[in-house]
Amino acid sequence: MQRLARGERDALGPLMERHHRRLFRIALSYLRDVDEAMDAVQETFVKAYQAAARWDPVSEVAPWLSRIAVNHSIDIYRRRRRRQRSEAPMPEATTDHDDRWRAADPSPESEASGREVGQRIAAALQSLPERQRAIFVLRHYDERSLPEIADTLGMSLGTVKSSLHRAIARLRERLGSATA
Amino acid sequence: MTLFHGRWRARVSLLAAGALDPHEEAAVQAHLASCGACRADLEASRRALDLLDRDPARAAEPPVAIEFLKTRVLARLDEAPAPRPFRWGLAAAGLAAAALAVAILPLLDRPVVTEKPVPDEMLARMERRLARDSAARYLDEAQDLLVNVSAHPADCEKDHGRIDVGEEARRSRELLERRALMVELGGDEVASAQPLLDDVEGLLREVAALPACVRAESLEAIHRQMERRHVLMKIDLVTRELRG
Repeated sequence: MQRLARGERDALGPLMERHHRRLFRIALSYLRDVDEAMDAVQETFVKAYQAAARWDPVSEVAPWLSRIAVNHSIDIYRRRRRRQRSEAPMPEATTDHDDRWRAADPSPESEASGREVGQRIAAALQSLPERQRAIFVLRHYDERSLPEIADTLGMSLGTVKSSLHRAIARLRERLGSATA
Repeated sequence: MTLFHGRWRARVSLLAAGALDPHEEAAVQAHLASCGACRADLEASRRALDLLDRDPARAAEPPVAIEFLKTRVLARLDEAPAPRPFRWGLAAAGLAAAALAVAILPLLDRPVVTEKPVPDEMLARMERRLARDSAARYLDEAQDLLVNVSAHPADCEKDHGRIDVGEEARRSRELLERRALMVELGGDEVASAQPLLDDVEGLLREVAALPACVRAESLEAIHRQMERRHVLMKIDLVTRELRG
């Protein structure tokens, strides 16, 4: 990061190698669209390079990158929602937005079952308000602690706790029949 | 179920999410021993969260090789700030992508271009651009907030039958603070957007003044105003204009 802060572009390579998969999964969990998730990852590293000089050396790189990726994902989601709204009334999310992505090397049966679960989870996640969804994704797809999430999203710890509880309650309702 | 069950529900959810510190967890575990409803709650939350282990997104792989991503990032750093939408899936299919990546990889070693002094005229242009961008961003966020108020009414936990708009009220107050700053910084630059900014400000004030839990009827007046003045559509048009 210090090399990146000095404007050394070749420092981007190792940073991207270390974090791009994790950031892709965060963005994909939030957006459920491969192209949009890759755009979010790309813009995360662009922003990381541009903002590296302002990076605080005492803070960890992974949560800092997660913050950028989540904020980009929220921006992309807002743009998508505006586009959908200007084209047609926004439908209730019922299916996965993008089924081109696959887990590494699944069997055909587990792939089919995984796709169905993925679609149900995607629909449930898309029913959450954007910040609740970000909190949920950071907790359950990036294993961030609640204080880290509060710091990442610039919220109080209390707001993060109550939002996570609400998100879980709503997901329980939405995923009810799948978990019975 | 006890009268105080409601206040434990959030902590039980957080226990299921593995998000409590040891002290909080011990307190919730002690409560669970005497609360059957809370144990059922915990089980239901755990079942829902266990399902996430089967979500393919957890193990999904990026559709393109890392070298191609590096190439795109470097190309973006050389471009204007606005990102271009890109069809990553198409790139994944072609060997051309890999060849291109190999060709451009050595550019990673390029020296950084040294900055030249910025002329006053350019600075003034950048300031104007900044004022318009911040007005557009403000309108974007206000639009999202107003859509949330209309489209995502969450039930209020403390008072069933009412709608929770606490978060929207808080965000409205933040946006109004930004709006005040925007007027000081870029009044002339956003003059054409002034009537819409006033309409939006009025709506945000109404949302900001709402209590955390409201009846659905309390939001209807806000919805009617939004529709009557075509606020969402105007925001789309004006933000497009502001961004040039």
